[in-house]
Amino acid sequence: MIISVASGKGGTGKTTVSVALAQSLGYCNFYDFDVEAPNSDIFLKPDINHYQKVYVKYPYFIKKEGVSFKACSDFCHFNAIASIGEDYIFFEELCHGCGGCILVGPEGYVREKDVEVGEISKGFKSPGIYFFMGNLKPKSMRTSNIQGDLEKMLDRSQTVIIDSPPGNSCNMVNAVKNCDYCILVTETTLYGLSDLKISIDILKNLDKKFGIIINRDGIGNKELEDFCRQNSYKILLKIPNDINIAKTYSKGGSLLEWDPKMKDKFLGIIDVIKEEVGR
Amino acid sequence: MKICISSTGDNIDSSVDPRFGRCPFFLIYDDGTENYEFISNSSRNAMGGAGIQAAQEVISKGVEAVITGNIGPNSYRVFESAKIKIYTGVSGPIKEAIAKYKANQLTSASGPSVQSHYGMGKE
Amino acid sequence: MKQMTIISGKGGTGKTTLASNFIRLAKNHVAVDADVDASNLYILLKPNILKTQEFIGGPVAYLKSECINCGRCEELCRFDAISDSITDIKFDSLKCEGCGVCEYICPADAIGLKAEKQGEYYISDTVFGKFVHARLDPGAENSGKLVTIVRNIAEDLVYRENKDLIIIDAAPGIGCSVIASLNGVDLAVIMIEPTLSGISDFLKIYDVVKFFGIKPFVVINKKDLNEDNRQKIIKFCNSANTEIIGEIPYDERIPFNLANNTFAVDDTESIAGKEIKNIWEKIMSSEL
Repeated sequence: MIISVASGKGGTGKTTVSVALAQSLGYCNFYDFDVEAPNSDIFLKPDINHYQKVYVKYPYFIKKEGVSFKACSDFCHFNAIASIGEDYIFFEELCHGCGGCILVGPEGYVREKDVEVGEISKGFKSPGIYFFMGNLKPKSMRTSNIQGDLEKMLDRSQTVIIDSPPGNSCNMVNAVKNCDYCILVTETTLYGLSDLKISIDILKNLDKKFGIIINRDGIGNKELEDFCRQNSYKILLKIPNDINIAKTYSKGGSLLEWDPKMKDKFLGIIDVIKEEVGR
Repeated sequence: MKICISSTGDNIDSSVDPRFGRCPFFLIYDDGTENYEFISNSSRNAMGGAGIQAAQEVISKGVEAVITGNIGPNSYRVFESAKIKIYTGVSGPIKEAIAKYKANQLTSASGPSVQSHYGMGKE
Repeated sequence: MKQMTIISGKGGTGKTTLASNFIRLAKNHVAVDADVDASNLYILLKPNILKTQEFIGGPVAYLKSECINCGRCEELCRFDAISDSITDIKFDSLKCEGCGVCEYICPADAIGLKAEKQGEYYISDTVFGKFVHARLDPGAENSGKLVTIVRNIAEDLVYRENKDLIIIDAAPGIGCSVIASLNGVDLAVIMIEPTLSGISDFLKIYDVVKFFGIKPFVVINKKDLNEDNRQKIIKFCNSANTEIIGEIPYDERIPFNLANNTFAVDDTESIAGKEIKNIWEKIMSSEL
């Protein structure tokens, strides 16, 4: 069973919730899909035993008298190569590594090399949490490559927790598209509500079951809860607005460290999800 | 001879757009026949390399001089290698810019006038 | 004309709160919401939309005529976007990046590329000046392209209406939409909370900002959350010769103001609002 933890708005507590779920379960596979800003290692504190680099094939061009790269420039859909006579300018950060310039360019003068765009760290946390975290290299825009490699490591036979990146773009879809159930974490502010509505649209389009966890309960307004009630969306849990949670979080402490009783609440959520998913 | 002016709009009452690569329109003007056409800048919304793409497009129209507000290093390089004259620091109505050009009152640029947007092009 | 982007690697650190208050204080500016998939600035700015335009995203591959099941395209696609090509070809539009390799290589000329509407963008009037914003379709790609478009429109407005500043509220993260929000700006205001995760994400976005050669100003938000971490940030900024332009205290008036549709800088009881005002004045008097 795969459970994704997502949120349109950033900083509402996705990592807090997904780590608490993993710690409560004790035995599961944990994947951090927030590869642009991964943080779950800070809270879960696994022993990292392997780093797997993620590479993209980028072209390089060999300059020679009489050789023009105009065909590459004309073909490239990403404007990554400009050709001026025999001169050229290559914009590596615009390149998607599709290999098109090799197909269309002067034979033998366009070659490829592996360029590292990030890595996946793998680790273990006792009693039984297998940990996988993607980490995009700053300045690279190949978020999807890191997520793609993480996706290949998903093991559906296990209980899987996926920590999604914030937002409602394709990066979030990559983190929820394989799940059986999605937990949406939000806060009761107008910002939280606005972003929650878009996330729900995505989950409905993907035909996913979902429930809601309200974090920092007590701040903001009532609109969000009214919205959930009117649409019969399930509120799985309310986490109070307590400065001590924020302080524990700031030191890398989890919800279970703040209050060990939270464990039963999260196990209760797992039971609810199992029932809804039907296994 | 054809010249190109970066333009804020697609009519002759528009102004010179201060940006070259990311301006909305280019005016292609023939100072011999006084014929002109506006072309929309299809590179404008490219995440990077807009200046280079725009420069290549303009060159393909057969222009021999470019009039604009600012030009970045990449477009400058493309124009320079194509031996096209570049006039920067021009602002105000297009009509005035044309008049000044005809009266030889514009000074040609000796280098790029702004930093590259992307700044990461390499070879 | 100057452009300022408000960023933070981590989400929920107060970017939109800072941006909206800056917009409230600014005089001759255009505002941009570059968080196109989870935009929130509209909530406080209450835009009156003057013009709506369709956002056409990047093209993706599709089957335009009969497939001969040769499997060439699947073999060459680097994005795993094509499957079952020797039986019943399928295209995954989410994975397809529109590179055109399959279209080029197809011996039967059966593959095409087409771009579709992936959102909308708007030019609006607000009580606080012109505002350019967008809505990416839920789950869509190409947020970087949409950010580039809204920024171009904001620049058009600035030149047309003789404004002198663009204030850009960016998305969290360090990926394509954030890079599109930083491209060519004069100043980046980086929000950071004194938490371990906040510091970890800050270091990544700091790297990006420096790489682009943009001047960073650091703002510590909720400064009293953790003194050890606050000291770590100060130490880092000192050694990196980067100015901490302000430190906003933890203030329950921030959610209170949002709930009441008011601005912290207008709230005399908000200690955070007072500091935001100070930060704004410091930025305005700096050599931008």
